[in-house]
Amino acid sequence: MNSSHTITHRQLFFIITQSQIGVGVLSLPYTLFVKAKTDGWISLLLAGLFIQFSILAIWKLCEMYPKQTIFDFMPKIVGTKLGAVLNFLFVAHLFSVCVVLLILYNSVVSKWIFYQTPRLVVISMLALTCVYCITCTAREIARFLMLVSPLLLVMFIFVGYAYTDVHLLYAFPVGASGIKTILSGSTDALISLLGFDTALVFLAYTQGRSNSKLKAISYASLCVTLFYCFVTFTTYIFFNPVEIVIVPEPVLYMLKAFSFKILERTDLIFLSIWIVFVTTSLISYLFFTAKGVQSIFKLKHHKSAAPYVGIICALIASIPASKLDVQLWSKLIGMSALCCSGIFPIFLLLIAVIRKRKGKGKGAVST
Amino acid sequence: MTFFKKPKKLLEQKKTANEAENQGSSPSSQSNLETSSYSEQAAKVNQNQSIDVLLKDIEKSFSSSEDLMTHWVEMPADKSKVALIFLDSIIDKQKLQDLILNPLFELDKDIDLHTFETVINIDFKKQSDFAKIQELLLQSYTLIFTKDTTCYFSVFTPVKTERDIKEPDNEAVIRGSHEGFIESMSTNIALIRKRLKSPKLVVKYLQVGKETHTNVAMLYMSDIANPDVLHEIERRINSIEADSVMTPGNIEESIEDKTFSLFPQTLSTERPDRVAANLMEGRVALLYDSSPTVNLAPVNFFVFYQTPDDYNKRWMLGSFYRLIRLLSFYIAIGLPAFYIAIVSFHFEVIPSALILLMKSSLENIPYPPLFEALVMELTIELIREAAIRLPTRIGSTIAIVGGLVIGDAVVKAGLISNLMIIVVATTAIAAYTVPSNEMSLAVRLLRFPFMVAAATFGFLGIVFGLILMFFHLCRLYSFGTPYLAPLAPFKIGDLKDTIIRLPFLKMNSRPSDIKPIKKDEDNHTRKWEKS
Repeated sequence: MNSSHTITHRQLFFIITQSQIGVGVLSLPYTLFVKAKTDGWISLLLAGLFIQFSILAIWKLCEMYPKQTIFDFMPKIVGTKLGAVLNFLFVAHLFSVCVVLLILYNSVVSKWIFYQTPRLVVISMLALTCVYCITCTAREIARFLMLVSPLLLVMFIFVGYAYTDVHLLYAFPVGASGIKTILSGSTDALISLLGFDTALVFLAYTQGRSNSKLKAISYASLCVTLFYCFVTFTTYIFFNPVEIVIVPEPVLYMLKAFSFKILERTDLIFLSIWIVFVTTSLISYLFFTAKGVQSIFKLKHHKSAAPYVGIICALIASIPASKLDVQLWSKLIGMSALCCSGIFPIFLLLIAVIRKRKGKGKGAVST
Repeated sequence: MTFFKKPKKLLEQKKTANEAENQGSSPSSQSNLETSSYSEQAAKVNQNQSIDVLLKDIEKSFSSSEDLMTHWVEMPADKSKVALIFLDSIIDKQKLQDLILNPLFELDKDIDLHTFETVINIDFKKQSDFAKIQELLLQSYTLIFTKDTTCYFSVFTPVKTERDIKEPDNEAVIRGSHEGFIESMSTNIALIRKRLKSPKLVVKYLQVGKETHTNVAMLYMSDIANPDVLHEIERRINSIEADSVMTPGNIEESIEDKTFSLFPQTLSTERPDRVAANLMEGRVALLYDSSPTVNLAPVNFFVFYQTPDDYNKRWMLGSFYRLIRLLSFYIAIGLPAFYIAIVSFHFEVIPSALILLMKSSLENIPYPPLFEALVMELTIELIREAAIRLPTRIGSTIAIVGGLVIGDAVVKAGLISNLMIIVVATTAIAAYTVPSNEMSLAVRLLRFPFMVAAATFGFLGIVFGLILMFFHLCRLYSFGTPYLAPLAPFKIGDLKDTIIRLPFLKMNSRPSDIKPIKKDEDNHTRKWEKS
């Protein structure tokens, strides 16, 4: 691997953070509330705990096969033929994640900014921007993601402004909805925390000690979980529990209420910043996808795959027309993404470990 | 004392017997010795011929250009004839007299051909490479041929066509040196050497252009500049293969990393103090023949926003004005776009107190905001372009007519809203605060795509425009060093002289993006405090 393509573990931290924070942040409090009522933020913390297992699995896999992406080591774990099939399926899953990102982005933008603009225009604007962004090395992507990270602070301050008008009592009683509902809420929370799986490709480029790599991913996921938790909790104590049910994007509604002497409608500014985070998530997923396509078609460079990946995603994403379609798509793809990104690495690791043991056993017999 | 004669008159008696044999043997002897671009034509000028054949050859190789002059001089000692040959248009006759003829005839009667060198001056050199004849003549040398045809002598007699050292108009400072570069490379190097009296300052001469033979001098500090960067710059300059390399812009464009980028990848300046300071940071300076512009490479984005003035102010003021300049970057590219986005898409963002004001100003304008903005921005560019080409006195008239009269009339006529005039004027001022002309031009052009994006997609368009621009900056390199350093990649230590300027006592390491080999800057300006 070319030495000019490598990234540091600090850059890895920002890549994972930026991939995880994405479309979900606007509607997460609502989706969690529907399931777990005001205890949604506990489900989120639990989800954060669960993904730590996936992170460990991903890290271990990349440790066993250093400097290789998942597409390189998949055939080595499960055999060439099955590996090719699984690679293909995994790329399909990545495609679907990109598509769902674009769909959700479009649904928010068409609801809040452009009511009349055709879907394809709004979607392809984002997709084409990202195509330009992924036609370079992982290092340059990492630099950009790190550059825009201070915007996270701006978001934090925007949301934090809500504390001028909160009622802590809304959040009580804690744990009233019961462990079962809280747990069932955490599956929804998991979907919005997806993004850590991009480590499967970016870890291959990361230099440094393996411990610091694990730390980088874990801290990134911790930060994102806490940030989401902060946002969710803030909306829960800002809105009355009866209100939240009628506002599907609580964060935006909350910001809409604030107005300053020099700025009315803070939500529009917030949305503009939010778009940067959607872009960064899509950049890392599209890069992941393009790398997959590169390995399937044995291309020289993922650059040549990038435009096709972007255009196909944009075309598919502009299919669902009605709100119900969008809900159905995002639910289905969300579940499949959960399996592929969250559970699949753990299985892969198990197979890899068993195979290695067997290999060692055989080796011992033969000698 | 001197006598000028047409060479042809003397030719007859000078015809030597060995001419025939020389002509047979010579072409192979030297034509492939010299690989310079001259050698092709110079092959005709052969060694070991009789002096007049030689002169004829030279004349032929210059296509009998009439400013090529030959003067015959008779040596006082042995009465042998000597030929002086030079390009009349680029040599100084007074120097010719002072440096060659006077010493020859005044100093000593005993001088003969072999003691030539000892008499005349320091620029006097004995040459034996006959392939270099043309090159020397073109570089304002006077050549002296004697009957000894194995060698010749060269004297540097350039005509002085320099102007005085003045402060560059486009890079003026309030405090600090008011010297600027001029069109002479040696003077420019002298101006830099005057500031860096160090044996580690290295000058390296390169030549580009097959016909123009433009000289390029590469200056760097041997113990600071990174050798990889040096190699890369040298390799790129040497690989230029073109007939004419006229302007620094030609070279700049041939060696920069990305041609299809709006952003300048080398810093051009006319200030010796700026060059000296950058050399000390490990950058490389490129000086050109007859050009007051010096290019510095590798650079990053923030170098374009530094000026020598920052270092002559108190550090907090320096930092403040640098922040203002960086803010002006955003204003220059974003303000018209932001305004267009607000009035055509996001009226809700305007606070209620302002809404009536804006509405009343916009109500009767017949055109969409984008059209308004484009017309006014283009008018400003027109005024600028016209003012540059005119002498200063008329230039200010144009500015008044263009700025005040058009601006006032256009509002009164109800074509453009007065808010738009405020926005456009602020933008224009912001674009001119950039200390570097190239960056200012880049910024001015950048705002047009942003305006179109804002008129099409509102805030969304601006955000995507900014994402694309910053990503472009992230993947831009200047001679292999990242352009947006120290922001991307982020180096907190290097921020001290980019976005702000910390006091000098904090500046004890060089910026790391250009990878200097000596990172520590020996800088202990306040040692007295400790005792």
